[in-house]
Amino acid sequence: MAKEIKVPQISEGVDTAVISEILVSKGDKIEEDQSVISVETDKATAEIPATAGGTIKEIKVSEGDEVSVGDVIIILEDNGDDSEEKEEDESDKEEETSEDNKEEAEKEQEEPDSDEKEKDESKSAKKEEEQKEDKEEDEDEDDEEDAAEEDDEKKKSKGSEAKKDKDTDEDSSKEVYASPGVRRLARELGVNLEEISGSGESGRITEKDVKEYKEGGSKKSSSGQAKLPDFSKWGAVENKPLNNIKKTTAKNVLASWQSIPHVFQFGEADISGVETYIEDHKEKVEEAGGKLTLTAILTKIVATALHKFPTFNASIDMDKEEMILKKYVNINIAVATEDGLLVPVIKNADQKSIKDLSVEISEIAEKAREQKLSKEDMEGGNFSISNLGGIGGTNFTPIVYHPQVAILGISRATTKPVYIDGKFEPRSILPLSLSYDHRLIDGADGAGFMNWLVKALEDPYEALLG
Amino acid sequence: MAKEDRKELVIIGAGPGGYAAAFHAADLGIKVTLIDPEVNPGGVCLYQGCIPSKALLHLAKTKEEAMHASKWGIKFEEPKIDIKKVAGWKEKVVKKLTEGLGQLSEARDIEYIQGKAKFTGEHKLEVTNNKGKTSDLSFEKVIIATGSSAVGLPDLEIDHDKIWDATDALELKEIPKKLLVVGGGYIGLELGSVYAALGTKVSIAEMTPGFLPGTDRDLVKVFEKNEPFKDVFFETKVEEVKITKKGVKVSLKGKKEEQNKKFDRVLVAVGRKPNTQNLGLKKLGISANEKGFLEVDNKRRTKLEHVFAIGDITGEPMLAHKASHEGRITAEVIAGKKGAAYDPKVIPAIVFTNPELAWCGLTEEEAKEKDKNVKVVKFPWSASGRAISIGENTGLTKLLIDKETEVILGGAVAGKNAGSLIPEIALAIEMGSTASDLSLTIHPHPTLSETIMESAELFYGGATHYKKA
Repeated sequence: MAKEIKVPQISEGVDTAVISEILVSKGDKIEEDQSVISVETDKATAEIPATAGGTIKEIKVSEGDEVSVGDVIIILEDNGDDSEEKEEDESDKEEETSEDNKEEAEKEQEEPDSDEKEKDESKSAKKEEEQKEDKEEDEDEDDEEDAAEEDDEKKKSKGSEAKKDKDTDEDSSKEVYASPGVRRLARELGVNLEEISGSGESGRITEKDVKEYKEGGSKKSSSGQAKLPDFSKWGAVENKPLNNIKKTTAKNVLASWQSIPHVFQFGEADISGVETYIEDHKEKVEEAGGKLTLTAILTKIVATALHKFPTFNASIDMDKEEMILKKYVNINIAVATEDGLLVPVIKNADQKSIKDLSVEISEIAEKAREQKLSKEDMEGGNFSISNLGGIGGTNFTPIVYHPQVAILGISRATTKPVYIDGKFEPRSILPLSLSYDHRLIDGADGAGFMNWLVKALEDPYEALLG
Repeated sequence: MAKEDRKELVIIGAGPGGYAAAFHAADLGIKVTLIDPEVNPGGVCLYQGCIPSKALLHLAKTKEEAMHASKWGIKFEEPKIDIKKVAGWKEKVVKKLTEGLGQLSEARDIEYIQGKAKFTGEHKLEVTNNKGKTSDLSFEKVIIATGSSAVGLPDLEIDHDKIWDATDALELKEIPKKLLVVGGGYIGLELGSVYAALGTKVSIAEMTPGFLPGTDRDLVKVFEKNEPFKDVFFETKVEEVKITKKGVKVSLKGKKEEQNKKFDRVLVAVGRKPNTQNLGLKKLGISANEKGFLEVDNKRRTKLEHVFAIGDITGEPMLAHKASHEGRITAEVIAGKKGAAYDPKVIPAIVFTNPELAWCGLTEEEAKEKDKNVKVVKFPWSASGRAISIGENTGLTKLLIDKETEVILGGAVAGKNAGSLIPEIALAIEMGSTASDLSLTIHPHPTLSETIMESAELFYGGATHYKKA
C-alpha cells in the first residue's frame, strides 16, 4: 500500500482534463503542494499540486492522457522497507487522520477493519498456493484419470468458493440503465451507452435515445459537411489533433451559429476625441498598472449602454418562453492566445472606472495568454467584446456567444476625410459591428444600441444626457 | 484408423450450454457437430442434476403439503413410498426430456457424436467413443462446454456404495435410515430435503456457521424455520470416516467438541469444479486459471479467435440458465451478429427446497461492500392474503432499491414458488425499472406476486397490506 496522488477537483463542473505536461519524474523527491503535473481543461490550464510528499515510485499517466477526477497520477514510495510496508502505511494513515480534517477521519472509519485485511492477506496467500497447484496441474494435465482425481480432492475447498463472473462484476463508476435489447442495439450501432443521457425515468436509456444519439453523433462528426476527401492526393498534409480550447470553441460557435438567428449591424464612430483622451491619460493609467486602451473605454461605454438597453443584457429561454433580464453587468473580453480564443469575464463592469477596467483587462488578458484562467474567470458573462483593431480589417461579423444575445466587434480605426462645417477634415474613424440574437432584439433596438455607442464615443456628454 | 473431416463448428459437451449453442447455431445456418458421452443431449442438468432432482423435490413437496393439510382438516394416512416406482417415474421424466432434445437435435440436422473429445491441435481433436475407439476430426471453430463435476473430500472417498455423490443420491437405489449430508450448500439441502421427505433421518454437516454460505441471511432464516433435518452441525468438519459392514462411522469435529456418529450413508455435496482437465487444452495453447476456469471475453471467446467457452467452465455461478444464455450468445457471435455479447445485469439463483429461496442482482452484503446508497425493503408474507391462504406465512420478499434513482438493483424471495417470482425482479433490473414501475404495475390478486408490488410500495412509505411499525 503506497501513497497515491490523485487528480483533484480542478474546478467546479470540470471532471476531465488532458495532461499537458508532467513536471516531475520517477525517483524525484517531492514535497507536499509541489506542482506535479499540468493539465488542460476545456478552457484553462492548471497545475496540480501533490497531496503528499515522498519519493516518486511510479507515474501512472503520460502527456496527452485524458484523466478524470480521482484518477491516480503518481504513486509514492513508502519510507520503510518492504516487510514493514503494511504497518508503515497504517501508521501513515493514522497520522493523516489526526492531522487532516474530519471528513478524512470518517472515511477511515468506513474502511474495512483490520480483521478483514487479515482475511484479504490469507486469501492472497491461498491464491499463491493455488497457483502453485495449478502449475502442477498443467504438467499433469495429460495424465490419466487417477491424477485428475487427486487434483479433485486438493481442490475441494476451491469448488465451494463463490466467485462472481468477471463480466457481471464490472464495477463501473457510472450505472447505465438500459434494457437488454437496448444494450444490444447500442453494441450493433457502436454506441457507448455511458455517453448517452437517457430520456426515461431515472435516466433510463431507450431505443429511441440510442438511435437519436447515433444519428446526432454521425451528424456531429461530419459537422454537417460531406465526407472529407483524401487531401494527401493533392500534396503533403499534416494531421494535428485539436487542443481542448479549439475543440470547445468549435463546439460552442457551432451551437451558437445553429441556434441563434443572427443580425449584423454596422456603425462608424469618429474617435479623434477618444484618441486625444487616451494620449492625455495613459500615463496615469500606466502608473496604476494598466494600459488605457480603446477596449477599456468601450467596455465602460457598453456597460453603460447595457443599463440603457436591458434586452442586450439578457438571455432567452424558449422552453419557458421568457427572457431573463440580468441585473448585473458582466462583460466578456475576447483574447487571442497561442492555443486559441479565450473569453474571460470582467465582472460588474458598470461599477468600475475606466482606470480600474484598464488594469483588470490588462491583467486578465495576461492570465489568458499564460493559460492561467480559472473557471470562475470565464463564467457568468452577459455580453462580449471582440477587438480585432490591433490586427486590422475594415469590419467583421462576430458570432454571438450563447446564451448571450449580443456581441460587439471592433475593427481598426483609420484616418478618413470627414465633411465638417463645409470642408473635409481628417478624422479617426472606428468601424464597429454588432451581432445580435434577433429572437430577442429587433432591428430598431440594434440600430439604436449602435447609435448610442457611436454617440458615446463621439460626445459622451450628449450620450449621457439621455 | 482415423478418418479426417473438417467441421464448421464443433461443440464439446451437450449440456444446457452446449445444446442451446448447437440448436441456435443450426437455426442460424451453421453446420454443427455436437459431441457428448451420453446418448442424447442434456448433460448433467438433465441426466444427473436439475431435472431429476426437481422431479424428486416435487414429490417431496407433494408429500409435505399433504401431511400439512391435516392441520386444516384434511387428514391423510402416512404415505407408502414405492421407491422403485419413484425412481422409475424420475427416469421417465429424464428419458422423455433427453429424447426430446435428441429429436430437436436431429430435426436441426445436427451431427451428434457420442464420445469424449480431446484436442490434438489448434484445429484438431480426437473423439473416443464409449467402446474406446478413436477417430480424428478437424474443425474451423469450437465451443467448449464441458461443464463441471462434483468434488470430493480428501479423507472421504466416494465409493458410490456407502459414500455417495449427488449422482448416486439421485439414482434412488435405496432409502437409508440415517443419512449424513456433508455440505450445507444448495445441492446438499435439496437432496437432503428429498431424502427427508422419503423418511430418512437426515443430518447436515457444514463447515461454515450457517446454511448456504454467501446467501442472504434473511432468506436462510426463512428456510431454517422449516428445515426438515434431524441434526445440523455447523462449523463442523468430517474428521474421520470408517466404513463398517452396516454403515459409516463418522467423527465430526465441531468448534468445541468432536463427536462420533453412525450413519447408513454419507452424501458428499461440497461443491463442483469445472471440467477443464483431460481436454488437451495444452495442444490448443490455452490453459485454465488457478480455479480451473477458462478466461473468456464478453463474446465468450478465449484468447484464440476460433475457440469459445461457455457454461460452468467460464466461471461462477455454475448454473444451467447462465450456460444456455452464453450458448445462444456464442452461436450469434459465430454467426456474425454484431451486437451479440454476454452482458447480463443479473443471473437469478434458486434453491428448490421447501420453502424455495431465490434471489438476483445486488445483495445486501454487496451493497455494503460497494458502499451503494440503497434502501432495503422487506415485505413479510404474513401480510399477504394469498400466502396465508396457502399456509406460507413465513415467507419474505425483499428488494434493494437505489435511494437516489429509485432503480431496482436486487431482489430476493423466500417461500413457496419463490423461483417463479424471481424472474419478475430479474426483468425489472435488466430493464432498469424503478420502484414506481413495479408499484404502478397492476399485479393480479390474490397471488404471491403482489408481494413484489407491495415491496416496491414500501419504498415510498407504506404498502397497502403492511405498515412498518
